[in-house]
Amino acid sequence: MTTEAAISLEQLNKSYRESDQQHVVFRELTLRVSRGEFIVLLGRSGSGKSTFLNLISGIDPPDSGKIIINGTDITSLSEHDRTLFRRYHIGFVFQSYNLIPTLTVAENLLLPLELIRRASRKDRDSVAELLDRLKLSDRLDSYPDRLSGGEQQRVAIARALIHDPDLILADEPTGNLDLDTAEQVLELLDILVRKAGKTMIMATHSQEVIGKANRVFSIRNQSLHLE
Amino acid sequence: MNSILKRASRNFLWQHPWQLALAILGIALGVAVVIAIDLAMESSLSSFNQAARAFSGNATHRIIASDGGLDEKLYSRLRVGLGLANLSPVVTGYVKLEQPGEDSFKLIGIDPFIEKSLHSGWQTGHKKNSQQDLLTQLMNEPNSALLSEKTAQRLKLPVNAPLNIVTDHGTQQLKVIGLISANNAVSEQVLAKLIITDIATAQEVLGLFGRLSSIEVLVDKNATETLSTIQNVLPGSALLISMDNQGDSMREMTRAFSINLKALGLLSLLVGMFLIYNTMTFLVIQRRHLIGSLRIVGVTRQQIFLVIIGEAFLLAIIGTFIGIALGIVLGQGLLHLISGTINAIYFHIDTASLMITPLQIGKGVLLGISATLLAVLPPAFEATRLSPVKVLARSRLESDSRRLMQSIGLISVVLISASLAMALFSGKSITVGLASIFVILFGFGLLTPVLTLLLMRLIERLFGRFLGILGRLPVRMVSAEISRTGIAIAALMIAVSATIGMDLMIGSFRQTVAQWLHSSLPADLYVSLPGDKMAAGKALTDQFLKEKIASLGGVQMLSSVFHTKLIADDQLTKVSAFELNLKSRQGFIFTHKVAANFWYRFENQPTLLVTEPYAYHHAVKLGQKILLKTDQGEHSFEVAGIYADYSGDQGHLAMSRQNYQRYWPNLGYSGIGVYAREGADIKQLESGISQLLTMPQSVKSDQDIYKASMEVFDQTFTITETLRWLSAAIACVGVFSALMALQFERTRQLGILRAIGITTRQLTVLIISETGLMGLIAGLLAIPVGLIVAYVLIFVVYQRSFGWTMAFFFDSGSLFQGLVFAFLAALLAGVFPAIKMAQTRPAEALRTE
Repeated sequence: MTTEAAISLEQLNKSYRESDQQHVVFRELTLRVSRGEFIVLLGRSGSGKSTFLNLISGIDPPDSGKIIINGTDITSLSEHDRTLFRRYHIGFVFQSYNLIPTLTVAENLLLPLELIRRASRKDRDSVAELLDRLKLSDRLDSYPDRLSGGEQQRVAIARALIHDPDLILADEPTGNLDLDTAEQVLELLDILVRKAGKTMIMATHSQEVIGKANRVFSIRNQSLHLE
Repeated sequence: MNSILKRASRNFLWQHPWQLALAILGIALGVAVVIAIDLAMESSLSSFNQAARAFSGNATHRIIASDGGLDEKLYSRLRVGLGLANLSPVVTGYVKLEQPGEDSFKLIGIDPFIEKSLHSGWQTGHKKNSQQDLLTQLMNEPNSALLSEKTAQRLKLPVNAPLNIVTDHGTQQLKVIGLISANNAVSEQVLAKLIITDIATAQEVLGLFGRLSSIEVLVDKNATETLSTIQNVLPGSALLISMDNQGDSMREMTRAFSINLKALGLLSLLVGMFLIYNTMTFLVIQRRHLIGSLRIVGVTRQQIFLVIIGEAFLLAIIGTFIGIALGIVLGQGLLHLISGTINAIYFHIDTASLMITPLQIGKGVLLGISATLLAVLPPAFEATRLSPVKVLARSRLESDSRRLMQSIGLISVVLISASLAMALFSGKSITVGLASIFVILFGFGLLTPVLTLLLMRLIERLFGRFLGILGRLPVRMVSAEISRTGIAIAALMIAVSATIGMDLMIGSFRQTVAQWLHSSLPADLYVSLPGDKMAAGKALTDQFLKEKIASLGGVQMLSSVFHTKLIADDQLTKVSAFELNLKSRQGFIFTHKVAANFWYRFENQPTLLVTEPYAYHHAVKLGQKILLKTDQGEHSFEVAGIYADYSGDQGHLAMSRQNYQRYWPNLGYSGIGVYAREGADIKQLESGISQLLTMPQSVKSDQDIYKASMEVFDQTFTITETLRWLSAAIACVGVFSALMALQFERTRQLGILRAIGITTRQLTVLIISETGLMGLIAGLLAIPVGLIVAYVLIFVVYQRSFGWTMAFFFDSGSLFQGLVFAFLAALLAGVFPAIKMAQTRPAEALRTE
């Protein structure tokens, strides 16, 4: 882990309108995350963990404040440029896997590569190699709905990493898995992300992950609290 | 429990207003087209019947005659000789007002003092003057006339104002002596275009001295003796018909036309049903979680079924009533087109207005509700099959659908084969012929999802390598959700194939008629001699004119025709009496070989020719005898030839003028064909002839007649064109609805794509590519299906409906047009969902379940 700031959040405000009421999620939130750091977010359901990840990925824009990732202020980018930024620099792992059901496992992995450039034979080889590491080489041409939850999540992790992003965002990646499978998935993330020196922010309830994190924050009263 | 259940279901509908609106629109549009056609068709025919009733009052029978009309002495003989009191002589004809911009009016001459029991509705309705005064005045004052109060108001004609009318004999002046008002809406409509005079005035104005158009008769229906007494004294040119039968025969005459139009309406409903099925299936699938939850808390399959059916019933009622209202508006528009076509090819009907009866509304309600419930049955059963413990995954539903599709594919092959057999071996039935087209369309509709899957596989195999992952996604999306995309493609395919089929049929018919016109117009110029065939002196003036034309410098020879109506096999039948020369004989296209002495027999022996439609409708064969009534009794004529004729679908007879004049009086000519000498200046000849003519006679070149005939042809098919585009429009709404629902259902999936870096532009292209692909598949499949539909229409339905033989003219333009239409319709239908999806924030999309 280096001390150079990979992510910098400055006085971030975010609220939602629900019926006639304004629901404030974050108020004046400020945070610096160093390159290669592994941050864990805790919080009750609905506390804003997913919103936090959506803000950093540029999926959701803040009401005010700045989000600077690797020197780029993504809040100053247009929606189109934010998408391109996400495409190149961020890998996303969701709780419910969110694989594209109409693409095979291999195609799900090739899609992020193809969005960056035309997928080459070399890319296909690296997909096969990664799936082999994830013990999914026999599932290359399977469609997601034929895979178990654990297998789907492993594919989702592979998809988040295949294009070698700087930042991995994981939204309760073990939330839908049994204990054993969850353990395997976390180990995988640890090896492929943390030990590879990539920055990762994970929203989770898993105690085991908390032990591996560089810093653990909980979201309470519209702000982050270091645990 | 039930009310909570319904609320749970209804809340879902309220949360999806787009789908709700599109489901209602699907029902409404389907019902609207059917109702509109029914209303317009029935109103056109009713206007004829009502008009007939309004004039004839309580008459039970009518004595009519061929074009020569009835001798007025017949009336005296029946009244005085036979002592029949309940008779009313009538003289009718069409006149125009001198005022520009006015349509023709019907002038009717009556005996004002006929037996009271025969009085028509209008005769008791007027109020401006007392009845007795007016009728006496009508009788005593020459050239006096009555007008409807509303017409007089519209024309700004007060009582005692002069009324200038134009007839074949020039301008004449009548005097409005009184105004009559209708006692009901029907009479009002009939009276609006009517001028009433006494018999003598009508005869004088119309040039029908000593002649009557008809005699209305009131007898007890069971008084067969009286009827046979009347029959016995009727001359050969007259016919006693029952008023009820007359209405029936008019209906029979337009039966084929009516069935064909109603079939077009039902096609719209069929497409609408696909739309309803599609929408309701979406609503069920989207609620699989809700239904699963309800099943867990103990809601039975039956209750789920009833909720879905109840919901569909509610939608059906709303959609049907909107459809009826739309149908009435649409019916107003179609009425003009339908009555125009009836006027052009069947019989004269006065301007009709839309008549809405409770029966027709009831039919619409029944049709709308039953079609909706029928379309909703499969999704309602699907809903009851949803497991209470494990809410089915989308992929599971799709794999179930694929298994089901294999069985449906087999069923559709059986249906298509059965429908083709039905088309080939259905005898003379038009309904069965049309039903076979519906089954063909339905069968191919069922086969469409299977064919789509195969085509998608083929596209991927051929182009997958070049398309990349993103390029392959639209193909995958179509096949992965085939249970939904397949329905939309099928609905579009049905509408487009029906459009291609009708386009090819109309094109083939047009080409056939064009070829027929070219061969049946051998003369250089045609002189038209319209006018009432009863008019005294017409024969002499026509003959004189013919001689003058023959003596013109550039004229080599002439031919002539006289169109009349004679009583053939106890039916008033159109007959053309020809005076042919060597060239004009070549204008006939026979369905058989002709012998060397054919034309000799035609001219000199008691023979006649029949047109193809006549032969078809009356099952007439070569060598058969047809009995024609003459004043000297019945004479038998042998059918010597059957020839192609597309001037009407009831057909007619043709005989030589020589034969005609042997038995019937000379009433002049209807037309003269002029053959110019080699090198003669046709324009000069035309101008020379036109100097000999008086209004409304005219001379036209063969090209002008060709153009005018093709215009009439196009006009008669305007209604068909309009209806097929309406079906296509409904299909577009269907595709739009299906695509909207499909994209909404995919919101989360599209959100994931956005999350991993797909831009809004790429997403838009992705959605539009998928919908364009669906359109392309629909268009490609519609081509062979359209060709089959065209074959069945040309060689089965139209031949059976009208007796016309048509050649099939292949027009690649129609196929291409269909393909482009399907592609563009689907492409455009995808634009709005694509924009909507692109505008949806990815965070919001990811939250969607």
